[in-house]
Amino acid sequence: MDKNEIKFILDLKDYPLEAIYGAAYVFINKAYLFLDNKSSKKIEISLKGKNKLTKKQLENLKGEFLNELLNYTLRVNLNKHNKKIREYIVNQALFSAFNEEEITQEDKLGYEDDPLGIAVPWEEKYKKEIKKTK
Amino acid sequence: MLISFNKKLYKIKAIKLAIKEYQNLANFSLKQKGNYIQVELKNIDKDVKKIIKDEFCNYVLFKSKEN
Repeated sequence: MDKNEIKFILDLKDYPLEAIYGAAYVFINKAYLFLDNKSSKKIEISLKGKNKLTKKQLENLKGEFLNELLNYTLRVNLNKHNKKIREYIVNQALFSAFNEEEITQEDKLGYEDDPLGIAVPWEEKYKKEIKKTK
Repeated sequence: MLISFNKKLYKIKAIKLAIKEYQNLANFSLKQKGNYIQVELKNIDKDVKKIIKDEFCNYVLFKSKEN
């Protein structure tokens, strides 16, 4: 620890990379951050104070970062585990948005049925009306 | 001034976007060396010389999350 900076190493077995990015993003306003890959599963985080910080303040900054990291790790894990149920709920909501009667009525109709009279030729439809008015 | 970004952690697209935003404060050059993308800064504006490295790294991180 030197030059207003604290460095520590995180294991990707404990914290997913997505969570590290999330926590780093939150800390962009509070400190200068730099990430480096020490080995395939270990990441070094450098936190540097934007103002002059004491050793204790730097330790506090590290603690706050680790708390935020834990928060993000939980979020990422919950997101992963609840993916299927979330998709199921959205599907159900979209399905129930359709009127049930509409669906059953549409199912009963054959392709030759014409409840709206769309298939009736123009002449047929309007000649009758003209005769009636005469 | 040389900054080495690890390719596994920083996206080249984010670095290029950050350079585009900072190009009026210094002259930037990019090269790839092994697992790192090296960014060299020359002719840095006097007013920002002390903070440009840290601010630039934060900005790249910000752009990495955004893209």
